[in-house]
Amino acid sequence: MLNLSAVHKSRGVGSQRYSLVIPALHLCAGEQLAIVGPSGCGKSTLLDLLALVLAPDQVGRFEFNQLDIGGLWRANQQSMLAGLRSRHLGYVLQTGGLLGFLDVRGNIALSRQLLGLKDDGSVARLAEQLQISDQLAKKPAALSVGQRQRVSCARALAHAPQLVLADEPTASLDPLNAERVMQALLAQAREHRAACVIATHDEPLARASGLQVRRISCQRDTDGGVTATLGEAC
Amino acid sequence: MRIPLVASLAWQDYRNDGWLSACSVLALVAVIAPLLVLFGLKFGLVSSLTERLENDPATREIIPLGGGRFSRTFVDQLGLRRDVAFAIPRTRQIAATAQVGALTLEMLPTAPGDPLLGGLPIPVGLDQIVLSHTAAEKLAARPGDWLQTQFVRQVAGRVEAQHTRLQVLAVLPLEAFARDGLFAGLSLLEAVEDYRDGRAVAALGWDGDAAGVSELRVYPAFRLYARSLSDVEGLRVYFAAQDLLVSTQALSIAQVQSLSRNLSIVFWIIAGLALAGAFAAIFAGALAAVARKRRELSVLRLLGFSTGALLLFVVMQALYSAGFAAMLSAGLYGLAEAGLNQLFVQVPGEYASHLLTRHYALTLLAVLGVSAVAAACGGWRVARIQASEGIRDV
Repeated sequence: MLNLSAVHKSRGVGSQRYSLVIPALHLCAGEQLAIVGPSGCGKSTLLDLLALVLAPDQVGRFEFNQLDIGGLWRANQQSMLAGLRSRHLGYVLQTGGLLGFLDVRGNIALSRQLLGLKDDGSVARLAEQLQISDQLAKKPAALSVGQRQRVSCARALAHAPQLVLADEPTASLDPLNAERVMQALLAQAREHRAACVIATHDEPLARASGLQVRRISCQRDTDGGVTATLGEAC
Repeated sequence: MRIPLVASLAWQDYRNDGWLSACSVLALVAVIAPLLVLFGLKFGLVSSLTERLENDPATREIIPLGGGRFSRTFVDQLGLRRDVAFAIPRTRQIAATAQVGALTLEMLPTAPGDPLLGGLPIPVGLDQIVLSHTAAEKLAARPGDWLQTQFVRQVAGRVEAQHTRLQVLAVLPLEAFARDGLFAGLSLLEAVEDYRDGRAVAALGWDGDAAGVSELRVYPAFRLYARSLSDVEGLRVYFAAQDLLVSTQALSIAQVQSLSRNLSIVFWIIAGLALAGAFAAIFAGALAAVARKRRELSVLRLLGFSTGALLLFVVMQALYSAGFAAMLSAGLYGLAEAGLNQLFVQVPGEYASHLLTRHYALTLLAVLGVSAVAAACGGWRVARIQASEGIRDV
């Protein structure tokens, strides 16, 4: 489903330069992967590349469902990329990424509405499975951080995407809630046979959750800049 | 792009930002409501004055001055002109009088289409007339009455008179004709003129000299009405070119038209400045909205919104403000209109301030159009919003 090799993304120049290198990344349907590494190593940049919201600088190969993503970026096919995002991707943001003017039900249903899908009960089902059924009429501002994260998970899964990306979904949660949210997200992703890439600081939790773990390691180059490289599974 | 979904999301965000939305509506109302009052005053005053002139056919009358010699054909051709509503020859005024009892009545020729008669029945033949209001009052005559009418002439120092009975078909309203007079078919006036000239009138059995066979009748004047107020000046110029002196109400008409033109200039200068200000305010509002909602817009972009959909999101919110502002302004104008009309109107049916339905519709369209364009210009910055830039902070 997802096939990347020799993908580079850089920001800044000289000693301020930061480069992320993805030598190879293959992901099949239902596969679940954790990306770990220190703060600022490029986990979010990697997720943004996979979420098709950040254009790579160099591409050996970048395919999603056999579609040449590098070619779409080069041709500036923004609407095509937006279409792929809405159809095939679900993204759980670090602090929820919920829209404050919609209630919880509206936020979860939005990803389906964008595709013109009617509510087949999946909103209520996901809310129940993620234990937020009693929060559906509330605005995000009235929820705790943990509840927002669960709503974000529900929105990312509601339209049954092929790939679910999660950026530090448990970073702002206490250990008990962190485990609950992680288990809920992975269980739902497994149920929908969605591939899952989760960026996290919490390597023990990732391993305890049965995720394949890949580390991003950083090294300072001679020009003072930093190059981060996605390593193999460890 | 799913337009209903974008419109619905824009509405929910608009409602969520209730106070800010109300501010943008009130800012627009501050521009639109005074403009409506100003235009209402301009339209109300000018249309009342114009209507007053238009409702009085005398304003459109063109009266030849001095004695002329006009053939029937000439007057008929005048009547065929596009700018002429009605034309009929007049016989000599000194010969166009009738005596009913002690009252001397001025006789005027009439025919179908006479603006003075309006919807009243038209006299035909030699025994039907329409009586003026004052004459009817003095004679205590009503429609259907028969009046014994006397026509007097002097032949070789000898006074002669003939009588005939005339039926009153209708009585003219006072505002149409304020003198003592009667309106009759041209044939009756020609018969009276012939009689006064000493000739015989066979149709009425009046004796006199026989008329010459080849004698062509000439008329000293005519009754002529322009089709509209704007045609009066053109006809005055036409008659002046024919060396024919005429009296018209062109000056009064020009004064009203000049007032209308000057008020229009004042209105459009004020409206132009106000609309430019409103455009700038909406433009700045859209810029600020895009900056303020950057995070939400980047999440929508992440979820798959195109640039067009994001722009529509911003424009829809401007349209909501425009719609509410137009409705609120119309309501405020309605109150102002009622107050102004109560304070300043003296003649029933006239207005100091007045707007037609099409003015409201035009205002709504103009406000929506200006808002949409201004918001689209200001909101174009959404094209620069990348899904990756604001999503970490939401």
